[in-house]
Amino acid sequence: MAKKITGPQLILANRLDDGRAVFLTATGTWSNAAADAAVADNEAELDTLMTVAQAADLANFVVSVTPVAADTSNGVTAPAHIKFAMQARGPSVRADLGYQVSPNWEQ
Amino acid sequence: MYAYDTYDHAMVNARVAEFRDQVDRRMKGELTEEEFRPLRLMNGLYLQLHAYMLRVAIPYGTLSAGQMRKLAHVARKYDKGYGHFTTRQNIQYNWPKLSETPDILQELSDVEMHAIQTSGNCIRNVTTDQFAGAAADEVADPRPYAELIRQWSTFHPEFSFLPRKFKIAITGAAEDRAAVKWHDIGLVLKQNEAGEVGFEVLAGGGMGRTPVIAKSMREFLPISDMLSYLEAMLRVYNEQGRRDNKYKARIKILVDAMGIDEYRRQVDAEWEKIRHVPIDVPEEEVARIKAFFAPPPLPVLADAATEVDELENANFVFKAWLANNTGAHKVPGHAHVTISLKPHGGIPGDATDEQMDLVADLADAYSQSEIRVSHEQNLILPHVAKSDLPALWSKLDEAGLGTPNAGLLTDIIACPGLDYCSLANTRSIPIAQTITERFDDIKRLMDIGPLKIKISGCINSCGHHHAGHIGILGVDRRGEENYQLLLGGSGAEDASKAAILGPGFNEAGIVDAVEKVVAVYLGEREDDETFLSAYRRLGPDVFKEAVYGTD
Repeated sequence: MAKKITGPQLILANRLDDGRAVFLTATGTWSNAAADAAVADNEAELDTLMTVAQAADLANFVVSVTPVAADTSNGVTAPAHIKFAMQARGPSVRADLGYQVSPNWEQ
Repeated sequence: MYAYDTYDHAMVNARVAEFRDQVDRRMKGELTEEEFRPLRLMNGLYLQLHAYMLRVAIPYGTLSAGQMRKLAHVARKYDKGYGHFTTRQNIQYNWPKLSETPDILQELSDVEMHAIQTSGNCIRNVTTDQFAGAAADEVADPRPYAELIRQWSTFHPEFSFLPRKFKIAITGAAEDRAAVKWHDIGLVLKQNEAGEVGFEVLAGGGMGRTPVIAKSMREFLPISDMLSYLEAMLRVYNEQGRRDNKYKARIKILVDAMGIDEYRRQVDAEWEKIRHVPIDVPEEEVARIKAFFAPPPLPVLADAATEVDELENANFVFKAWLANNTGAHKVPGHAHVTISLKPHGGIPGDATDEQMDLVADLADAYSQSEIRVSHEQNLILPHVAKSDLPALWSKLDEAGLGTPNAGLLTDIIACPGLDYCSLANTRSIPIAQTITERFDDIKRLMDIGPLKIKISGCINSCGHHHAGHIGILGVDRRGEENYQLLLGGSGAEDASKAAILGPGFNEAGIVDAVEKVVAVYLGEREDDETFLSAYRRLGPDVFKEAVYGTD
């Protein structure tokens, strides 16, 4: 049973190989974009998402699986806290490279 | 500089092979993250917000041109084309892949570099004066002793799991450019009345959430006793330092709790037991290490150079660079040169692969192939003939490395902050960028004079805000970035703790506040009084009034 939550949550992790911040989607895949993240509105939904996320951890695809508060107020899902929002956006500096340019900059 | 012997090579190569196997097992799932984490940290590999970060040791900040080329190559091949020089005189790469890290470490091993003990609760890279071996004002070159400490502390079995990380700094000059009083142990090379060279030993300094200035343990320790005395100091700390609370585990807390006199008594008692067993190295070994740091064969040249005078008269930027970025060398006709990694609007401490390659080429051409990294996040060419300064400056300036701001307000220390670091509460780099853009006028900067701004994005104080003439500390205020302003710190021989001036500011407000503080100084200073001297004379109230108003 997940801990009691006070608002919508999403699941954030880092990919094992390159450490890239990724977000668990509703289909159980991991996306580079926070906007694709599945949002849990209650403890039961968060439990379900965490089960999927922890399986990916055990399968050595991601590490550091963390549920964080989600902000859905603008119709676009994003982490609410600045630290996790920064993980979604990339560094605010060096706008010429990295996924500051786009979530799929590497591809 | 020091060159590896076969033992060093074998040891570092074995460590790379071991880590390659560990990474392979992690990728296959044979090691869990919980099992792997301490192993990667022992090899300098952190997981940060967006990627892994690899911290590579640059022992006492000394690099050869060949090593710098390798750092450039690593940035180009394995990272995103840049590296970040740190306040620990190291370099950090922000984007390495886990699976490629063993290859990086092998490439570094090929040029006698590694990432061992750049993390973990062990003795970290020994730091020193960036002008060591070159500065006209030093009693002795501290690097041979830093190298001896490096060899003693590397893989030291007793000190591999200390209560907390441990940092030693050493300087050979009375002007402290290595912030030794802010370290767990500080060593200051001195001459006694008999003319012998030894160390003043300081203990219990540190920043973080509890800033403490180190206290004197011994006025004079003979060089021949250095390692056994350090061993005794570390042993008492290792046995008695707290392990129940990581925030109270540094030696500064232990020394504060038991008092410096009791700590000294216990260290002396321990030292008596061990000082006659062979921990200290024989004189021949000290001489062997010293030979690696023999002064380069620089010719004595005329102190005046026509080329310099002509360009100085014709070009104000060169004149400013000469005044701020070059300093007196031991050998007449030479200078040490600070290459500023603080371009206005840029990221403090960052250098691109091309810039690193250029610095390596310039070191070959003008500085006996030697480079240094300063704890203030700049690069140094330690041995430059004065007649070469115009040509050198011109090449640096073309590459964006000629900013004439060393020691001035825009020569800002800033930690990576929330742009990269998983511990940070706020960003630091954008604050530094905005301040440097606000003060983007070299004449104004020179009028302000020496002023050190240091910015940390959290209480861990990697940006040395406690030691800033103006310190800035980022805090999380209900999910928003908030910046506290501190004044009056110093990392020099007159070390002092900066004090918080008042309530914090947002990103724009903190830059305005810095400008108001500087304006008060300019209005109130007497004669050639520096910012720090003026603050110490005036006290905080006049600054507080200007920043917060009289209400």
